Amino acid sequence: MRDPYEVLEIDRGASKEEIQKAYRKLVKQYHPDQYHDHPLAGLAEEKLAEINEAYDILMKGGGASGTYRDNSSSWNQNTQNTSSGNTNSFYQEVRLHINNGNLSHAEKMLDQSNAQTAQWHFLKGVIYQKKGWYSQAMTHLQIAVNMEPGNPEFRSALNAMGYNSQVYRDRSRQYGRRDMDFCDVCQCLICTDCCCECMGGDCIPCC
Amino acid sequence: MFGYIIPEKPELKIREYEAYRAYYCGVCRAIKTNHGNLPRLTLNYDTTFLALLLSALFEEEPNMEDCRCAIHPLKRRKMITNSEILSYAADMNVLLSWLNLADKWEDDKSQIAYAGMLALKPAYLRVTAKYPEKSRNIHEQLKLLSQLEANRCDSIDQAAEPFAKLMEEVILYPLIDSSDKDHERNKKALPWFGYHIGKWIYTIDALDDLESDIRSKAYNPFLYQYWKREASGRDTKDIKDLPKDILEAAEFNLFATLSEIAKSFELLQFKRHKDIIGNIIYQGMQRKTETILRKGKQP
Repeated sequence: MRDPYEVLEIDRGASKEEIQKAYRKLVKQYHPDQYHDHPLAGLAEEKLAEINEAYDILMKGGGASGTYRDNSSSWNQNTQNTSSGNTNSFYQEVRLHINNGNLSHAEKMLDQSNAQTAQWHFLKGVIYQKKGWYSQAMTHLQIAVNMEPGNPEFRSALNAMGYNSQVYRDRSRQYGRRDMDFCDVCQCLICTDCCCECMGGDCIPCC
Repeated sequence: MFGYIIPEKPELKIREYEAYRAYYCGVCRAIKTNHGNLPRLTLNYDTTFLALLLSALFEEEPNMEDCRCAIHPLKRRKMITNSEILSYAADMNVLLSWLNLADKWEDDKSQIAYAGMLALKPAYLRVTAKYPEKSRNIHEQLKLLSQLEANRCDSIDQAAEPFAKLMEEVILYPLIDSSDKDHERNKKALPWFGYHIGKWIYTIDALDDLESDIRSKAYNPFLYQYWKREASGRDTKDIKDLPKDILEAAEFNLFATLSEIAKSFELLQFKRHKDIIGNIIYQGMQRKTETILRKGKQP
């Protein structure tokens, strides 16, 4: 087991609050939803397990309480096929191949059928996304949603594509920004006190 | 094609910047050691990134020394020396540079490119002999790319695939199998990371070249995918007449790719310098993407 402080990316002697804050940030980052359907989902799961273990150690045997342990809202659940009650076994088989990572076989099946239904476009989109062909994925997912606007599975996949980019943009905006330290807190208090005194009050009597 | 992967210098701490430079100088030195002085002219930031990344992931204790540099003779500089990984990065630098020149010679019959090819030939042959399988895989991907371009492929994703696969191959440093659990994890995440780095480079290069490709009537996957044929005429249409769609689609694709780079980056286990690489991924590459997109959006 790696050093728990290193895993949680905090300094030794961090307070319980700092440990909890770091833990929450990392759980959010490696949450199964962030890697839903992702080729590296297994690695993310391992990383999350490591984070949970580190948190448990540092919070002194907190056990399962307070730690995130849910194991994946997986694409597998969708093989029950929520699309308009259609339980077409052809599409079931395509989904199975996608789940097993046989993307080229799944793609060949779709190309041969060329049915171009909403479900067909959706599965095409999923395959392209897993291949890393995002423009193609977006095109097909958009068609699927246009053909069946009420389908929650299709819409959620389309939204997830936009969401990922937003997560990256948010993270890059925050990157390198440090948390407030004691100097920042002190500055804030002094400014608060000055403003307060201007209004006739006195936040910190001795200043 | 090269030089897009750079750090956001103002956001680097001074010690981080010096570490980055130590890798840059280290690769330069490694090219000299392996191939002589002339090939050093091909050194680029992408190779520096490769060296930094692989060293941060796999190298136990990189050796940092004060050395003299011919270009900057007055002050000794810290550089990484005696590193297998930097030696590998130097070799990849030569390989990719030669292939880049060969491509320019094929496309534009550029005399400078031909001269460069001749000068680099001995180094190139040395590298292909040292990594025969890797060189073969890289060649195959470039052949695929040439075919796609000759057939005027109209999908940016499909056109980017060979270069993405190529970078995946380059980034897979031939590691001796070890029982290190981190190495096992990194070997799983690296292919996805490398693929998306390659995809980003190809896509951003295509976007950057959009204007000049319109003028010179050269192949550009964005043009073929998003520009209607009937409107093409293809005579010097200014970039401002390009449909908004191309830039919107390019923005989506680039950020989707960056997002995957970031996701796989977060799953890599680094021995050091995670901050510098994070700076490159979250800030340097983001800024480069925004700059080139904005260039296309300007009236």
